[in-house]
Amino acid sequence: MDESTFQVRGLTKVYGTGAGEVRALRGVDLDVPQAETLVLLGPSGSGKSTLLNILGGLDRATDGQVKFHDRDLTRVSDTELTRYRRRSVGFIFQFFNLMPSLTARENVELITEIADTPIDAAEALAMVGLSDRMDHFPSELSGGQQQRVAVARAIAKRPELLLCDEPTGSLDSASGVQVIEAIVKVGGEIGATTLIVTHNAVVAEIADRVIHFSNGAVVDVQANTAKRSPRELSW
Amino acid sequence: MRVLNRKLLRDLWRLKWQMAAIALLIACGVSVAVMAYSTQKALVTEQVRYYEQTRFADIFATATRVPLSIASDLAHINGVVSVDPRAMKSGLMEVPGLLRPATARLISLPEDEDAALNRIVIVAGRLPNASRSDEAVALKTFLDAAHVSLGERLSMVMDQRRMTFTIVGAALSPEYVYVPSSSPMPDDAHQGVFWAPRLAVERAMGLGGAFSSVSLALAPGTSEAAAIADVDRILAPYGGAPAYGRADQISNKFQQDRIQRLGVMARVIPPVFLVVAAALVNLVLGRLVQTEREQIGLLKAFGYGNLEAAAGYAKMAALVGVAGVIAGGALGGWLGAGITAELAPYMRFPHLTAQFSWSAFAVAAAVSIVAALAGSLLAVRRAARLSPAVAMQPTAPTSFRKGVLEQFGIWRILDQPTRTIVRNLERFPSRAVLTVAGLSVSLALLVGSQFLFGSVDAVVDQAYYRAHRWTDEIAFGENRDVHAVSEVAHLPAVLRVEPLRTAPGKMRAHAREERIGIVGLEDGAQLARPLDAQGRAIAFEGRGVVLSTVLAAHLGVKPGDTVELEITDGRRPRAVLPVTGVSDEYAGLTAYMARDVFNRLMSDGDLASAADLLLTTDQRGDFYRSIAQVPQVTGAASRDDTVASFRSAVAAVLVIEMAFFLGFACAIAFGVAYNISRIALADRSRDMATLRVLGFAPAECVYILAGELVFLALVAMPLGVLGGIGMSKALVAAFTRQDFYLTFVITPKGWGIAVTAYLGAVLVAAALVAQRVWKLDLVSVLKTRE
Repeated sequence: MDESTFQVRGLTKVYGTGAGEVRALRGVDLDVPQAETLVLLGPSGSGKSTLLNILGGLDRATDGQVKFHDRDLTRVSDTELTRYRRRSVGFIFQFFNLMPSLTARENVELITEIADTPIDAAEALAMVGLSDRMDHFPSELSGGQQQRVAVARAIAKRPELLLCDEPTGSLDSASGVQVIEAIVKVGGEIGATTLIVTHNAVVAEIADRVIHFSNGAVVDVQANTAKRSPRELSW
Repeated sequence: MRVLNRKLLRDLWRLKWQMAAIALLIACGVSVAVMAYSTQKALVTEQVRYYEQTRFADIFATATRVPLSIASDLAHINGVVSVDPRAMKSGLMEVPGLLRPATARLISLPEDEDAALNRIVIVAGRLPNASRSDEAVALKTFLDAAHVSLGERLSMVMDQRRMTFTIVGAALSPEYVYVPSSSPMPDDAHQGVFWAPRLAVERAMGLGGAFSSVSLALAPGTSEAAAIADVDRILAPYGGAPAYGRADQISNKFQQDRIQRLGVMARVIPPVFLVVAAALVNLVLGRLVQTEREQIGLLKAFGYGNLEAAAGYAKMAALVGVAGVIAGGALGGWLGAGITAELAPYMRFPHLTAQFSWSAFAVAAAVSIVAALAGSLLAVRRAARLSPAVAMQPTAPTSFRKGVLEQFGIWRILDQPTRTIVRNLERFPSRAVLTVAGLSVSLALLVGSQFLFGSVDAVVDQAYYRAHRWTDEIAFGENRDVHAVSEVAHLPAVLRVEPLRTAPGKMRAHAREERIGIVGLEDGAQLARPLDAQGRAIAFEGRGVVLSTVLAAHLGVKPGDTVELEITDGRRPRAVLPVTGVSDEYAGLTAYMARDVFNRLMSDGDLASAADLLLTTDQRGDFYRSIAQVPQVTGAASRDDTVASFRSAVAAVLVIEMAFFLGFACAIAFGVAYNISRIALADRSRDMATLRVLGFAPAECVYILAGELVFLALVAMPLGVLGGIGMSKALVAAFTRQDFYLTFVITPKGWGIAVTAYLGAVLVAAALVAQRVWKLDLVSVLKTRE
């Protein structure tokens, strides 16, 4: 295995206390190799989004360790977590989460303005095939186009890590394929480690590695020997 | 419906802080109305009781010396039910501990207590023994202010006779709540009023078988004007000064002013709060209906009627109204009692009991709840009209488009967070307009709270330091030859003396008539001179008169016009005179003329009735000791004392009122800013969470959220300032007594307080909302679709 982006050890997340206690993660151990595309597969409630949130610095673990290179994310301050998200992480959400009051280009510029070595917004949009829609507002774009703007926004800061939470969950098959294609393409171009959380098993076919999640724990990690191009997918 | 009510209560609990801010505004409005009307009720009730108890007269008149037999002529005037002739005279007296001699006004006590009018109320000690000529009762406010105790002896010089009285009782009188002096405010320590048995007073004054003051009571429904004309006619041969009715009686006027001002406050302020509260109810409930549209659709899909599904929002508004009304009623009652207690020493009633105006509370409650319901109308209508099918679909994303600003180059230099702020403003203009309106109202109130202080300073400066530059003024009981007056110049401490002559009169123009004070000044007088609007001294031209601003306005005349003057003194001359100037002053119905013109009209010699003095500070004590021995001097005023008493009296009243204004204005600014910020946060918590996830620091998110509010707050500032100036001018008009003007002046400190309080309230509200950005649960906000 190459050098790891993440080393996760004994990661536990418990919500609530007493009778209402829910153990979302039960001692997860995982290594995420650099510049690979990983797909986390698992049923709803299996804990995969919780893991993604902790890896993305949105949530804190109850116990265990998450090492991003040499830094333990479970022990840093909120300000450092913000800095971590700002510099190193690109997020793609199920519901796109674009600023409705900003155009496609401006949504990307929102990030390029605060990033250290950003890709030009127009270039990022071109990478996801939206050069001709740059000055449209989210309300003037289809779901797939909105999600591709989100992809452009995520990669515009040249993140080391691209975290995608059900990126095709709100899209039809054709739009979903376009979005996966964009993620794989631009993720590859900037050399990001890409983690896609999904319960859509078809998406897993584009991964270097597929992590199966169940009941708050990793049950299997498979290297994908028959990796397919996103264009070949359909569901 | 029980489940819907439970939902209503839970929604209310969820929105508790926003609803509390709205209820606070309603409470402010209700409390002002309840406070003002409760206090007014307490004052009016006591005034009516006091006037009945003391048989306060309807008509008042004074004359030089009227035979007692004339009293029966007065009693025969149509409608007169009671006549009370008295002996009354003024003089000077030295009071231990006071630098300046005080004015003593000695009044005879009635022999027939039942027929007496303007009875005094003994609050300590006793009435003088009728058989003794050396006992007197004194006005309680004088005794308190001059620190004179019962049993002390006071000497006064009156009509060249020295009299000494032992003070055996302290009394209050409706006639002497405010004892007229040269100060527009009570100068209690230097205004003594004494009542002694009639025989003693008559003997002391040489008024045996005669009276010099008379009060009359009228039967209900009698024409006061006709009775006054008859009194004037009967008393004219005896040196009668114009009689006047209760409305012009100075103590009554003083109390009425206070009572009416409370009414002004109660009518002007509450509507402002209710309108702002209604607008906020509209915004908050409008937003609630928007977020709950799926639930409303669901209820309708289950078979609830349109009204049933929408009624909850009206109930919510009503509940907020009720909460505000209850809090406002309690607060208003408490404040009313506090203000009543605060006013008690100032109003000088023997008793003053706090009251609660249930009628004001009922009206304020009804109006407030109606206002809250009116605010909910749009939201309720929207909820009732929602079709279930549409309601249950997710809302289409808010559509934005490029606005006007983007045509300009400046757009390119704006960063994305700032663009978000601008687009949001362009997208929701009505919300922006409402916010600006609410905030500017609050700033207007704040500006209005500050101007009175500046105005008082301006009035004092104009009246006592620029137009009048005397340090002291003495008045003579009777007009004196001007050469005798000049002798005052030889007394210690006197640097300059300027004689003047004053008399009461009437002035007519354009079919209007005003009772005025006429002041005859030396040509080129330095210590008292009328000033024009630019502050330049106005020189007298021939027979011309210079009118005070208020008098010119009341008569509707300007320089170049003529007026008809009647001097109601001496031989009562009349003349038609040209108006040659308007003297810029805030108080008084005064006409100035050259003293020699005045004397020629009177045809009684080169006389003066008073003298303006410039005294050195170090020998003032010696000066006053010398004039206390001069029997002709009956009054002495000091600028410093006058200004000090004016300031302390004004400050006592204004500080309370202005504190209210300040608090209430901050409540509005806070209520508006807090609700607007909470709505903005609710609208955009998802955006904020997204930005946080994308790596924006909380402060950067707060910039977008609060930037809009701060921008609107800044936009509202010029409007608020203009509104404040407008409101201040309206208040000036409302508070202006018939003979007293205020002006609009705000000091830099006043502006500072207004703007600091305003921005402070906005920033506190913004900070309260901003701290929620720090606490945003990123995961849960992002997971659920709006």
